[in-house]
Amino acid sequence: MPVPTESSPEGFSVKTVSEERAPLPSAVPPLPTNEPDSSAHGPGPLGVWSHGSRWPIEHRVLAGFGLVFFGILVISAVSYRNTTVLIENSRLDAKSHELIQLLDGVGVALDDAERGHRRYLVTGEEIYLASHRTIAERAPEYIRYMKELATGVPNQQALVDELERLITQQVVAESSATTARKTKGYGAVRQMALEGAAKKQIEAIHGIITRMAAEENQALRRRVGESTSSTRSTIVLLGIGALLLFVLLATVYYLIHHDITERRRVAAELQRRGELLEAANKELEAFSYSVSHDLRAPLRHIDGYAALLEKNASASLNEKARRYLSTISESAKQMGQLIDDLLVFSRMGRQEMLRTVVNLDQLVKNVLHDLRHDLQGRSISWTIGSLPQVQGDPAMLRQVLANLIRNAVKFTSTRSLAKIEIGCDQSNPSEAVLFVRDNGVGFDMQYAAKLFGVFQRLHRADEFEGTGIGLANVRRIIHRHGGRTWAEGALDQGATFFFTLPIQTVSP
Amino acid sequence: MTVTKSILLAEDNPRDAELALAAMEEHHLADKVVLCHDGAEVLDYLYCRGRFKTRLHGNPSVVFLDLKMPKVDGLEVLRVIKADDQLKPIPVVMLTSSREERDLVQSYALGVNAYVVKPVEFHEFLNAVKESSMFWGLINEPPPEGLGPAADRWRSR
Repeated sequence: MPVPTESSPEGFSVKTVSEERAPLPSAVPPLPTNEPDSSAHGPGPLGVWSHGSRWPIEHRVLAGFGLVFFGILVISAVSYRNTTVLIENSRLDAKSHELIQLLDGVGVALDDAERGHRRYLVTGEEIYLASHRTIAERAPEYIRYMKELATGVPNQQALVDELERLITQQVVAESSATTARKTKGYGAVRQMALEGAAKKQIEAIHGIITRMAAEENQALRRRVGESTSSTRSTIVLLGIGALLLFVLLATVYYLIHHDITERRRVAAELQRRGELLEAANKELEAFSYSVSHDLRAPLRHIDGYAALLEKNASASLNEKARRYLSTISESAKQMGQLIDDLLVFSRMGRQEMLRTVVNLDQLVKNVLHDLRHDLQGRSISWTIGSLPQVQGDPAMLRQVLANLIRNAVKFTSTRSLAKIEIGCDQSNPSEAVLFVRDNGVGFDMQYAAKLFGVFQRLHRADEFEGTGIGLANVRRIIHRHGGRTWAEGALDQGATFFFTLPIQTVSP
Repeated sequence: MTVTKSILLAEDNPRDAELALAAMEEHHLADKVVLCHDGAEVLDYLYCRGRFKTRLHGNPSVVFLDLKMPKVDGLEVLRVIKADDQLKPIPVVMLTSSREERDLVQSYALGVNAYVVKPVEFHEFLNAVKESSMFWGLINEPPPEGLGPAADRWRSR
């Protein structure tokens, strides 16, 4: 017995979904890759994004552009800040210059007023009071303007307040001296005329004006330094930023360019392989044609001449010789069957496939009708569930069902009451899982993967007939329909053959 | 039933020819069979030339053609026969090993009358040859015939 007798009771729980494909014709060489290390980290043999990183190209390009964007943002922010500083500084500079000018003017005006006032005290001529009067009149205005210019600089504000106080004192002192000169005459104000009515204040005022001017000049110098360094840093930043952006963009360009080149190479390679495959297919077709034509002829001759020999010489042949002759015939027939099956199998791979709506219920009925002669003398209990409509090639799917049902009938032939169930599990909305279950001789699950191979048989030729091509055909057809095949079973406890088909979606 | 007309068998393989003749012998048709070894001989026979220059005129009741033959293959012979007004009525049966779709399609496109695939099994082969030669050689009523202009045309060359 080629099939070991130990059976696994858990055989049903094991599910074997072996999806091996028919091997490619040897005329197609393996695809060469121009990166020797691509297998180390590439996702597949074509290695579309296998260039040194596990990141796909899209992410890397995106990251590159992200960095470029971030860089532009940083440069813009820093440039904006520096430019704002420059604008603010130039505004402050204008204010400083104005303040310095104003202080200068006020100093000169106060000096003029003081000199004029002293002359008045000496001469008593009112005309010399003009400057004093102007100052007395306009001092508050100057002060207000100064305060405005000194806004935001507490030091200077304090000095302006001090200045205001001193100027007021000077004006008051001079006014009271004027009154004294008018009412009491020169004698009362002689000392004042020599020294000035507000000598102390004038000196203090000049001191403050000098301090304020010095302070403004210092601020001006500070801001010039600040502006210069800010401008320099902006220029440096722009330079470095531009360089970095250039490098980043160049990298991204390289990535994209490399990717495109790689894709082009792969596309060209795929096309080349497609052409090779097509050529190989043509060759295969020619091969199977010549097999069909030439290989069968000698077999026909073997069988034919054996038959003629038996006919013409049967009288002189003994029992043994006749048995030899019949063995010769049998072998020739068997090989003929094998060739025919192989041809069907090879045709199945090449044949154009139809895509129509297939009513599996109807197909099962047709298959059972075809089988009616084989079913004579058998008692079989059929359980046939409702089957869905699928998309596919009716002739091919009919062959699938015929193969599976024929197998079920064949492998239950030793049962007094055979049970065969055909059904469908439609719990998955996208694919239908169909099965053909029997209570026949079953198989050992450890050979489940072999079931769908070409010329794989799990039973002796004298137990069950067949060439071992049926399930290989089933697998090939189902694969071409985008489905899967597998089998479950246990020795002497029946078998279930499953296949899936994409469900026909209801089009509006 | 008597057969007056010949049966033309084109078969390059002598073993296949012998087996076919053995099959036809069962119906005593073998002596009516004219065996040609390639397509050129078939055309020679039909146009009464070459080694058939002196044969009795008249079309065969049926032509059995193998597909693969030296010189002129079966499809080419079929094409010539069906393109000739005088030869066109002759029933042509393809007797071949090939079950390839393109051979079937081409044969029928050219107007073949029947297509028989030689089975490997001798008994089936026997039956196939017997029955088709029976049908076309005995049962089928061949087209009426005079001395065809085609034969005249070819003889005058």
